[in-house]
Amino acid sequence: MAENRAKGPRVGGALDRFAPIGLAVGAVLALVGLVYAFTVTPLVNGASVNGVEVINGVAVSNMLLLSQKIFYWHMPVAAVSFVGIAFAAYYAVRFLMTKDAAYDVRSKLCMEIGLVFVLCTMVTGLLWTRFEWGVWWTWEPRLTTYFILMLLVFGYFILRNAVADSERRAVYASVLGILILVDVPICLMVTRLIPSSVHPVVFRADSGMSFEMVLPILLSVIGFALVAIGLFRLRLRAQILEDRLTAVQEALED
Amino acid sequence: MADELSTGVERPVRVKRPSTWAHYRALVKKDLLHEMHTKDMLTSMGLYALLVLVVYGAALAQAGSQLDVQQMAGGLLWAAVLFTSLLGLNRSFGHETADGCLDGLMLVPMDRSVLFLAKATANLAFLAIVEVVVVPLFFFFFLGTVGVAPSWPLLLAVLAVGTIGIAGVGTMLSTITVNTRGRDVMLAVLFIPLSFPLLWSCVSAATAVLVGTEGFMDTFTMSMALAGGYDVVMILVSWVLYDFVVSA
Repeated sequence: MAENRAKGPRVGGALDRFAPIGLAVGAVLALVGLVYAFTVTPLVNGASVNGVEVINGVAVSNMLLLSQKIFYWHMPVAAVSFVGIAFAAYYAVRFLMTKDAAYDVRSKLCMEIGLVFVLCTMVTGLLWTRFEWGVWWTWEPRLTTYFILMLLVFGYFILRNAVADSERRAVYASVLGILILVDVPICLMVTRLIPSSVHPVVFRADSGMSFEMVLPILLSVIGFALVAIGLFRLRLRAQILEDRLTAVQEALED
Repeated sequence: MADELSTGVERPVRVKRPSTWAHYRALVKKDLLHEMHTKDMLTSMGLYALLVLVVYGAALAQAGSQLDVQQMAGGLLWAAVLFTSLLGLNRSFGHETADGCLDGLMLVPMDRSVLFLAKATANLAFLAIVEVVVVPLFFFFFLGTVGVAPSWPLLLAVLAVGTIGIAGVGTMLSTITVNTRGRDVMLAVLFIPLSFPLLWSCVSAATAVLVGTEGFMDTFTMSMALAGGYDVVMILVSWVLYDFVVSA
């Protein structure tokens, strides 16, 4: 046990010093991306209408075109949530390979970060569907699979709370983390597999986005990724200190 | 005999190591025998499925003849199958832990993945038996007057693919939840979201063959491909990870 702690991760070091800076820079980048999207980027590739006009059978107003601005945060947040869950699964695999509790802690924290970004995606997505499609919710394939992903992440934490034995909890949580990862590619591919889907396919070569649209998205993606990394390091630091405190308390009680 | 002992020559002891296939057969036989003695899962699942149909009767009673039951039949049928299997899966591991059976099985020097395959096969068999009773009853109660499209025999393929997936994922998850607090709810919390893609594509395929509109074959093949792909991926992942879960 003592040996394990010695080679285990320590608090402090380059990554921990980077965490607050990364968090701040990431927040600034994401904000710059959004401000850029509102100020410089024209409405949907320069389209603009006077009052309300009908385009392709849909009544389009400037407000509807403006609502597209949510996209500049919605897509980056969703992308980061997928990455968070993917890292949770990666650390879960590492845990099952080594049975080292440090990996389980990381897996849990990655899933926590994933949960935060999943919730952000849901909120921005709901706001957008209300404006774009006129409903708060619809059982559309992309929305449904993402909703399922959210429920699975909830289930992950419910499972963690429902197992008393810490070693067993780590194994079960790791296995579930890997199973959750199976839903991520389904969620990514579903807009391609089911063409009737209202949700557009974002990652494609002919997406028709101009440079003014791509730049703020890139800024936001990098920004939110930095925020996620910063949050993860800060959370990891707090968790390690907490675990050490518990260990010391237990040692003193004995 | 006496000579051999006196000379002190050690003869090698030969024990034939049972094959994986023999392990698998023994384990499946054990589950089937246990079920034949107690009839625990089959009676509870069968009764539960029947009662779900009765509830459907009440739920659809006010809709009368205006409701297009054909359009909803696929969804209703799969809802009944899903809830019934949830009940059965909860029980499938109950007796393993209660009598210390699982601990005994862990002592056997064998590949633990065989346990998964055997348990999933047994669950699949029980689910299939229940479906053999419930699906005709469902047709009798709800589709008797409306009738179905001539493509309905394809429903058997949908049921097969869906049930295999449910048995695979369910066996994996019920092994996890059997050791948790509030395990009935826990299984539902994990099982329903995780099996959702399978449920979705099975309902889509079932509705396609029951309604049988123009070009239903396209929907059917795509949904079946999705469900089949899900089955393969999920069962492979569960198969690989089962060793960790069952030894934890």
